[in-house]
Amino acid sequence: MTDFSSLPHLPDSLTDTAARSVQKTQTAKPGGLFSRPWFLRLLAIAIIIIVWQLVALTNIRVPNIAEVIRFLIIEISEGTHGGTFKGLFWSPIGNSFMRYAIGMAIGVPIGFALGILIGTSTYARGLLNDTTLVLLALPSVVWAFLSTLWFGLTSEGPILAVVLTAAPFVAVSVSAGVRNIDRSLIEMCASYRVPLLRRTQHLILGGTLPSAITGTRLAFMAGWNSLIIVEWFGATSGVGWRARTLYNFQDYPGFTTWILLFILLIMILDRFLLRPVERRAFRWNEPPMLTFAETDDDSNASTNNSGKRLRKRQD
Amino acid sequence: MATVLIENLTKVFPPTANQPNQVQALGGLNLSITGNVLVAVLGPSGCGKTTLLNIVAGVEQPTSGSVRSVQDGVPAHISYVFQEPRLLPWRTVVNNMIFVQDRKSDRSRREAEFYLSMVGLGDVADLYPSQLSGGMQQRVNIARAFLVNPDILLMDEPFSHLDALTGRSLRDYLQKIWSQTRKTALLVTHDVNEAVELADRIIMMRPGGVIFDDIPVNLPRPRHPSNPDLQFLQNDILRRFDSMEAAVRFGVG
Repeated sequence: MTDFSSLPHLPDSLTDTAARSVQKTQTAKPGGLFSRPWFLRLLAIAIIIIVWQLVALTNIRVPNIAEVIRFLIIEISEGTHGGTFKGLFWSPIGNSFMRYAIGMAIGVPIGFALGILIGTSTYARGLLNDTTLVLLALPSVVWAFLSTLWFGLTSEGPILAVVLTAAPFVAVSVSAGVRNIDRSLIEMCASYRVPLLRRTQHLILGGTLPSAITGTRLAFMAGWNSLIIVEWFGATSGVGWRARTLYNFQDYPGFTTWILLFILLIMILDRFLLRPVERRAFRWNEPPMLTFAETDDDSNASTNNSGKRLRKRQD
Repeated sequence: MATVLIENLTKVFPPTANQPNQVQALGGLNLSITGNVLVAVLGPSGCGKTTLLNIVAGVEQPTSGSVRSVQDGVPAHISYVFQEPRLLPWRTVVNNMIFVQDRKSDRSRREAEFYLSMVGLGDVADLYPSQLSGGMQQRVNIARAFLVNPDILLMDEPFSHLDALTGRSLRDYLQKIWSQTRKTALLVTHDVNEAVELADRIIMMRPGGVIFDDIPVNLPRPRHPSNPDLQFLQNDILRRFDSMEAAVRFGVG
């Protein structure tokens, strides 16, 4: 028998070696600044700002960056824009985020459960597949009008809109994930008589997780868009309502400020919450399905959660 | 002691869109395997070998006939080495091993690492399958089958997807680990080399799912492919296949 106690265990050193070799290839890459993704990203932002300023110079209805920053400072400090028109910042953002969080907390689990049902049962697929696709295709503005009709200018309308927008996104990707689970792995479980609970937990959920997370990421974006539109038409607080108020006052710097804030908030959420979660779910080296803005690496190679590239070993 | 008793086993696949006629995979097969032996089922592609193994594993149901796998009077515990590794890509190697174990304990991981080390993979427990080469993944597949401590071990052409050199090195690992554990084993293969190198008994099958020969292999282990006795036996088996084919072709068999 092999003396097992004396066997070397090297996983840490192996992965470190892999990481070192990644660093080496990265530093050896030619091309200078233009091959760096962070530089290209900054360049893109700079170009957008320059074009914006040029347009602002020629068009009186487009505010320039200085006006937007001035407006933003007054909003954040909740000072006055002149006369009785007060700045407002934290309450619209707080209200929107509360509705968004409640809506996502309801919508994502519903979507997940629906996705598992549609993916595993042909009956459920027959019953729910088309309904899910209809919900997916319905424009958010329809929810805005319906929820205003049903609930008036309350928080329930925007929350319902977030739920109904987010759930189908999650359901569609989860059901696709379930259906894509390799049949040969299901057979493997059957031949080893792996108990149903463990099979569900590790094969079905484990195999579905990456597509579920990609779907959730999409649902977060769609839910946020939907929320803002519903608040625009049918709320008396929130980011969408604030943007609409400023639009009605024809306050171009104010309107632009809130549109930018709206984009910035979802980008921060995506970058610091959703993308790290997605990266962790994909750490076993399958490239994520959403490829936009997903790694700081300019190649398509995947990285694991600690940023180390998984490297193949040979016999 | 483990026993596999197969009586009058038939399997007929109904017509499908790709295959307009029904296909008889097994045609009344009888086979009995007892004790700590490694039995190879040898035959050309499409002769029903894998179907036989799937029925013994319980993954497929027979059309008629019976299969009984018992160990000391109770249903035997079976494990399966597949043609492809069939590892969950999102679980590490060691977690793939623990996944199929019927009980969980603190010893699970140590046991898994022990069997990994038996196939020369003591240092990859925490890597993901995608980080391993095809041959290494197949070694995990073999180690996994031994980890569950089966009464009966089924192997479905486990080396057929590998290049010749990797296949040979994996056969050495299998010989080593099997010699130490001596599980009742059924190996399906179309490779005569592989059968004579690994088996204590070779069951030869022909298309239609019928056994036409049953050859004992009484050669000492470990066996090396260059051993002249092995080559002699190999030639003998090939001759038997040729005469079987001729008999089938001219309607004698």
